[in-house]
Amino acid sequence: MREATRVIDRMRTDPPPRGSRITAPDGRKQVLYEVLASGSGAVLAVFMWGHMFFVASILLGTRTFDTIAQWMEHVYVAQPTVFIVLALFVLHAVLAGRKVPAQLRERKRAFALASDLKQSTRRWTGGDALTRPHAESWIWIWQVRSALLIGILGSFHILLMGLDIFSDLFGRMEGIEAVSSMARTRAGLVWLYLPLLIAVEFHASVGLLRLAVKWGPGNRLSRRTLWRIEHVIFWSFIGLGLLVLVVLAGWIDPPLAFLTGDGP
Amino acid sequence: MSETSAEQVASTEALVAERKPRRLKFRIFRYNPQDPNSEPRMQEYRLEETPFMTLFIALNRLREEQEADLQFDFACRSAVCGSCGMLVNGRPTLACKTLTSDLPRVIHLHPLPSFQLVGDLSVDTGSWFRGMSERVQAWVHERAPFDPEAQEERMDDELAQAIYESDRCIECGCCVAACGVAATNDEFVAPAGMNRIARFMMDPRDGRGRRDWFDVISSDEGVFGCIGLMACQDVCPKELPLLEVYAYLRRKALGGWFLGGK
Repeated sequence: MREATRVIDRMRTDPPPRGSRITAPDGRKQVLYEVLASGSGAVLAVFMWGHMFFVASILLGTRTFDTIAQWMEHVYVAQPTVFIVLALFVLHAVLAGRKVPAQLRERKRAFALASDLKQSTRRWTGGDALTRPHAESWIWIWQVRSALLIGILGSFHILLMGLDIFSDLFGRMEGIEAVSSMARTRAGLVWLYLPLLIAVEFHASVGLLRLAVKWGPGNRLSRRTLWRIEHVIFWSFIGLGLLVLVVLAGWIDPPLAFLTGDGP
Repeated sequence: MSETSAEQVASTEALVAERKPRRLKFRIFRYNPQDPNSEPRMQEYRLEETPFMTLFIALNRLREEQEADLQFDFACRSAVCGSCGMLVNGRPTLACKTLTSDLPRVIHLHPLPSFQLVGDLSVDTGSWFRGMSERVQAWVHERAPFDPEAQEERMDDELAQAIYESDRCIECGCCVAACGVAATNDEFVAPAGMNRIARFMMDPRDGRGRRDWFDVISSDEGVFGCIGLMACQDVCPKELPLLEVYAYLRRKALGGWFLGGK
């Protein structure tokens, strides 16, 4: 009975639109929104990679981390970055969020379709191209979920970094220091940063794959190759991120500190 | 080489003949919207599998032997007419192209979502495609009055091939049914519509300029409705390059934005 109701829920009830030619009165605005949504996503993804490398300086010891942080604040790279990233963050959330169905009924339909398509692979036993697995619709739902998580945890993180850079609330002085960052992480923020790390890396790598497909450069590669590239990016940054997090939480000493002669 | 494949075919046939036939269980969606007493339900049927049985054969046997009023559409039984699109175990595909041997013993059949239901497994794809064609004006808009005496304009072979590739669409509706956006936005032209737009956009005989096309594609009903779920290309029974079409239209929209004009 439930299965039959679900089928009925997904059928079109009104006759399909006819006659009137599609016209886009605000076509130019729509292109702008698309370019900004795609562009802000791409810039944020690249920013996250850069961010990861800077934070990874903790692996070389606290002194290296402090030197880089102070230099970035001294030449005024860090301060505007907070505002730019916050602006892109909000812009991307608003523009990309337009595509998420608003009504619960629509969401249920999209959910049912994606889940059916994902499971259908297991409900075929043989054959050729017909059984090609399709998980991308389902992964899109996880992109929305990870976006919500990033929306909450990311906002908190950006606010915290803003406070750290612009005030002396944390540590001995204005700006980011290894000592206070590590103290915060150890005190429990590690449990917020861990899901944030996974959500960000997932959202960014899948988002870039979709961008490549949407605008064309990905069409020269097979889907399998695209996913391989995505997997390499995802797991590399997850690996590096976990290592950084473990060091920040103080669970292990900076493993590369011997390179800079920086004692634990 | 040919000998080997003949042997292979013979041995496969022998294997199939030797295997004990499976007793398939079909769970088929039943509902007749025309009948006020009809309730949407899943009904079970059992059928003995025969070698190389397709869903086309299975459904026809069910209708002949067990359920005379079972509704479903078929015409060509060779993946050309596009009538028999349905959800087979949750996946939109052509029933005539699907061998039961590719499926587990229990087979769920639903009508294609996002279309209006005619009854049981039959949906009205025709009205949808008619509406879509009207909305994207899917016919060649002549640049000048037709002159029957004049020689036909020449076209690059490559371009002719590309147009032919788009024209291979059989309007089965599988891509529409697999599309998460079409499922939630009734106005969206869907992958089949975008394929149609691209076909006429490429055609040098079509008089519509960049501006005209920009108005058609640059909206959430057009190419920007698509969010890149990629299901259309994955389920297309004719394996059309729908993602390439989609990226092509996106770049055209971007070009129209930069260049403006006609």
